[in-house]
Amino acid sequence: MNRRKTVAIVLFAILILILAALIAIWTHFGQREKRYECTNYAMGTYIQQTVYGKKAQEAAKEAAVKIQELENLISWRKNDSDIGRLNQVAGTKPAVIHEKTAALLRTSLEIAQKSNGAYDPTILPISDLWGFESDNPCVPDSKDIQKFLPDVNYKDLQVSTGSSGSTALLKRAMMGIDLGGIGKGAACDEAVAAYRTAGAECGIISAGGSSLGLFGTKADGTPWKIAIRDPNSSDNSVTEMAELNLDSGFVSTSGVYEKKFTQNGITYHHLLNPKTGYPENNGLVSVTVVTPNGALSDGLSTACFVLGLEKGEALLKQYQCEGVFIDRARNVYVTAGLKSRLKIINSKYVIKS
Amino acid sequence: MFEKKDLLIIVPFLIIAAGIFAWFNLRSSAGGIAVVEKSGVEICRIDLSKQTKTEILDIGGDMHIKLKVEPGAISFYHSDCPDQICVRTGKLTKPGQTAVCVPGKVSVRIIQRSGEKKYDGYTGWHQ
Repeated sequence: MNRRKTVAIVLFAILILILAALIAIWTHFGQREKRYECTNYAMGTYIQQTVYGKKAQEAAKEAAVKIQELENLISWRKNDSDIGRLNQVAGTKPAVIHEKTAALLRTSLEIAQKSNGAYDPTILPISDLWGFESDNPCVPDSKDIQKFLPDVNYKDLQVSTGSSGSTALLKRAMMGIDLGGIGKGAACDEAVAAYRTAGAECGIISAGGSSLGLFGTKADGTPWKIAIRDPNSSDNSVTEMAELNLDSGFVSTSGVYEKKFTQNGITYHHLLNPKTGYPENNGLVSVTVVTPNGALSDGLSTACFVLGLEKGEALLKQYQCEGVFIDRARNVYVTAGLKSRLKIINSKYVIKS
Repeated sequence: MFEKKDLLIIVPFLIIAAGIFAWFNLRSSAGGIAVVEKSGVEICRIDLSKQTKTEILDIGGDMHIKLKVEPGAISFYHSDCPDQICVRTGKLTKPGQTAVCVPGKVSVRIIQRSGEKKYDGYTGWHQ
């Protein structure tokens, strides 16, 4: 064999080798450079962010700051927050509140009205009795529930905005606001707004694993791939039952497996019906809602769960939002706009509509 | 231009090139890395695929949290928190899985070594 030719072939082969190594390294590290992941605790839960782009870190940090600011405004566990102060002066006078708090209260009132009280921001007297957020949740005395139930009524919450700012009024002394059904979604709104302002390319935020905010389009152009929890999977080995492929927006899930406790062999979940004061038991086990607004997705998932399948679907239609309802028999009901975006992974689940 | 003999030189190189790809890809699928964070600050990363023995990792903090690290898995072994959600979460083995002790502000999540993530987000994984 020609010696020069051998040298040429060897050189050529080495070139291929170097190229292969470069491509491998590039695909391995290229994307990671622009990705920033962080976690922190706010709104009484775990916030997880993954942001992409040159401004990723800045955007995520800004989002964390904004979420903390929101918590300082709307947490009913903090006495000096807008909601804390509003609850303290309930039945006496209006409380001066930040415009952001007022906007969120208005969103919650709108969902309450349209759902005919299936979601109610004034649930605090009843949610306090159950204590799902506390160390020792327990079934309240039915007399106590009857006693406090009349004080759960969104119609007795007034929000007004004038030239001198916003105020809110709770008409009766025993009333109280609990924004647990909408707060995590609102946190996602804050984060996505921060990503936009900071100039991130795209990003995803998860607030407590129950509300997600999707911002922008991924670098590879594929949709965001979101796993929906199998409501029947046990706490110590949670699996997914379906995947949702979404371009953007907000996703929230309300499920019976969330904060729950067992007393005398009966398991109680935290999705309380504001009309009865007890956990709603209508056959649904989880509702996932997809909307263009985070607070709305969170509030609607709660409302739809309590309303049940038919009324829940009607509510989503009113808002032009999409959803996935799962019942105890593993039937899956999906709204028209999500049909092509939902893929069942666990074949025990069957799409019914 | 090419003769049969030339293949003897080219083929081994192609095999090596393929090997490099395979190595990178296999590495990415051979289990994940556990990221342990306290108050949102990363305190350590553990390569679960390289873990050969079972160890108890003392994280401390208000809830005196201890983690159990095993070959291919990690779990909350002990926490003083009242709800015990973190301990009940059980073993984490796959990328994307997360266990959190909210009262103790300690989280453990499994990330993929590299390459494509299975999902971008998870809904209904309440913490």
